[in-house]
Amino acid sequence: MGFDFKYSVIWESVPVLLTGVKLTILITFFGLLIGFFLGTVFGLGKTSRNRVIYGLASAYVESIRGTPLMVQVMFLYFGLPMVLGMRVPPFAAGISAIAINSGAYIAEIVRGAVQSIDRGQVEAGRSIGLTHVQCLLYIIWPQAFKRMIPPLGNQFIISLKDTSLLVVIGVGELTRTGQEIIAVNFRAFEVWLTVALMYLALTLTLSRVLNFTERRLEIKT
Amino acid sequence: MIRIQNLHKNFGDLEVLKGIDLHIAAGEVVVIIGPSGSGKSTLLRCINRLEEITSGTVIVDGHDLYARETNLNLIRTEAGMVFQQFNLFPHMTALRNVILGPIKVRRTPRKEAERQGLELLEKVGLKDKAHVHPDQLSGGQKQRVAIARALALKPKVMLFDEPTSALDPELVGEVLEVMRQVVREGMTMVVVTHEMAFAREAADRVIFMDDGVIAEENTPDEFFSNPRNPRTAEFLGKVRSRP
Repeated sequence: MGFDFKYSVIWESVPVLLTGVKLTILITFFGLLIGFFLGTVFGLGKTSRNRVIYGLASAYVESIRGTPLMVQVMFLYFGLPMVLGMRVPPFAAGISAIAINSGAYIAEIVRGAVQSIDRGQVEAGRSIGLTHVQCLLYIIWPQAFKRMIPPLGNQFIISLKDTSLLVVIGVGELTRTGQEIIAVNFRAFEVWLTVALMYLALTLTLSRVLNFTERRLEIKT
Repeated sequence: MIRIQNLHKNFGDLEVLKGIDLHIAAGEVVVIIGPSGSGKSTLLRCINRLEEITSGTVIVDGHDLYARETNLNLIRTEAGMVFQQFNLFPHMTALRNVILGPIKVRRTPRKEAERQGLELLEKVGLKDKAHVHPDQLSGGQKQRVAIARALALKPKVMLFDEPTSALDPELVGEVLEVMRQVVREGMTMVVVTHEMAFAREAADRVIFMDDGVIAEENTPDEFFSNPRNPRTAEFLGKVRSRP
């Protein structure tokens, strides 16, 4: 066999890979930011008694959850431009894909957390004259948000890893960068190992941040 | 103050209120008793529209509660509600629970709301617990905070839905004592309860509900010593023979 592990390959590829890490972080951050917004809107939509609102929210969640992210990405980047007549930059398409995809899962997280709050809480809020919106804002949301954090953390980590699928549209994130390096030096073992460790470092950091947030909220309330 | 006419309420096929007529004057204390499932809690919840009704009218302080043009949020501030399960907001301190309504609904300035809130907490004997969260309070203390929260909006009527039923027996007294205090201040009150002693001493009128109708109503003296309806007598017998 005589495989010869070369540390030098790792050191040489790290600076290049870090530019990929930067893009991965950016896409994950903005994707999840928009995804959280979408998830909140559609998640609350799924708690609505209005059939149209409920129907729209359900359709979004089901169609996104029911199709592969890879297909969604390619549809966004290759499919839609044929209708729109303009090309979306890969970076923007990447963020959109992560946002739309995570939004569907986050919507379910939001719905579950909001519906887990005891009905008596709203009744108490209504009985002191608060409007529906005020009840949601001051009573339901703060309690529901606390319950959302563990499943949200899970989704954040999944979405971070999902950005690797964006290689198919040529976004220069971490996985793509790795691929490009290997295309030149053929050192698949060292490079993929390094890429994997970098993802691991990112997800571990993310879990840490989320754990910290959870504890902070625990103390505050 | 409260005028209920021919009130019907169905849950699906089940008719829980079968034509209720009830007038309650300002300052009157009315206690509603009856077996579980008789509709007494539902009736109470109709007085601030926590339930939708099937037919009839409920008028509180001159406002038709179920009319389309009624501003429900404003009317609800006229009727303070105390729940069996307290329903305090667990993510807020006792004081914040009390002042949320005044600040958000009445637009009372925070400083002023806090001053009044502390006064109310003092009244229910919990000023020292103002900055404590509900999970650090006993059931009786929670319910006293809940009463303070309801009083904070200076309602014209207070509605109590089995306020002591979820409490350990030794904690019932402190809540009833606060309720007696509210009675002494001349508040109009409607109380659903199983506390017969409270009904006897604090009520101006006792109502016995059975199977969705008002089966009997009378002054407490007459009601307890001389029940006219056989179902009332039977119910009182069961309650008295409780261990």
